[in-house]
Amino acid sequence: MSGSANSLIEGLVEELEPVRTLKPKSGLAIVGIITLIAVITVAATLGVRNDLMIGMADEMFFLRSGMLLMLGIATAMTVVNMARPGVGKLSRGWIWALFTAALFPLTAAIMSAINMPPVEALRPMEGLKCLTVSGIAALAIGGGLTLWLRQGAPTSPERAGWLVGIASGALGAAAYNIHCPFNDIYYVGLWFTIPVIVSAIIGRLVVPHLIRW
Amino acid sequence: MIANEETFRHLMIKAQGGDRLCYSSLLIECEKWLRRYYARKINPAAIDDLVQETLISVHRKRASYDPDRAFLPWLAAIGRYRWIDSLRKIYRHEHDQLYEEMVADPQDEDVTAKVSLERLLGMIPQKQADVISLVKIEGLSIVEASAKTGQSESLVKVNIHRGLKKMSALIESE
Repeated sequence: MSGSANSLIEGLVEELEPVRTLKPKSGLAIVGIITLIAVITVAATLGVRNDLMIGMADEMFFLRSGMLLMLGIATAMTVVNMARPGVGKLSRGWIWALFTAALFPLTAAIMSAINMPPVEALRPMEGLKCLTVSGIAALAIGGGLTLWLRQGAPTSPERAGWLVGIASGALGAAAYNIHCPFNDIYYVGLWFTIPVIVSAIIGRLVVPHLIRW
Repeated sequence: MIANEETFRHLMIKAQGGDRLCYSSLLIECEKWLRRYYARKINPAAIDDLVQETLISVHRKRASYDPDRAFLPWLAAIGRYRWIDSLRKIYRHEHDQLYEEMVADPQDEDVTAKVSLERLLGMIPQKQADVISLVKIEGLSIVEASAKTGQSESLVKVNIHRGLKKMSALIESE
């Protein structure tokens, strides 16, 4: 062993403090708690959609909620497993969740090609509100997940960034979803997809720089 | 002689609990393992630095080791990340960004086979593997690698670029 390696080891030993092992469950718990806070905040400030309040929610609400939650949970689970290198098989479940989620914008695109929707159906003003609220919620969720991930050792920071962005975007949109009263496929395909895409791009650009090795 | 998996695991569990004696033994064994792991995978002059950088990563990220799992896949994943990262740093002096993606399969007990860097080189076209080995591992210049392989200098650069990109993609798909 070289002298420099020897002195490095001595230094590292000197610095040793007991550590608590990183548990993926704690990462998921952080994501779950922040998402729940976002849902409660949306409900308290913007209100819950009327049909849900009276227990007769439209089927689109359930489809949309299921899609967003499935995508958010699958990607968040992959992220927390990435924190422990060499531990936990490479999860590809998020890819299938992403394909499934893509059915909404794909259907909207096909329907638009067949029958051009009126601009009213896209509701730009409401859509921007959806984007803003979902984005704020995504920022909180992504921030919490990134802080947790910094303790871990993701060997693919770029992929971790994409996945943090997708997870937080999907869960942020899921939080806003309980308020959003619109059910048509054009609106859902556009305004519930954009937050996920924007969040994914921001995650890819920002998160790798925050991960310290 | 290098410690076996069970010894590594036992030492790491003790180290996570703050046992300095075990930690010292663990780092010494890791240093030996990494030195052997990196042999013939990088320019020999760069091995010392790479081993030390990897030991610092092991220290900083020791909380990410799961005591219920094997230790060597964890160490190998960190070692491989550091290896690719070092290649990328060298590469960035001359070219644009290289994306690395790496995941180790923890279920595979045969760590050295699974994370073998030679195996990755064997999975890309021979011409690309040759110039990566010569320039990035043996430390030859582009001109020397060109003369040795018969590839033009620009082709050597292109093959290094393409080969490293393919290796990154292969790591991701493993």
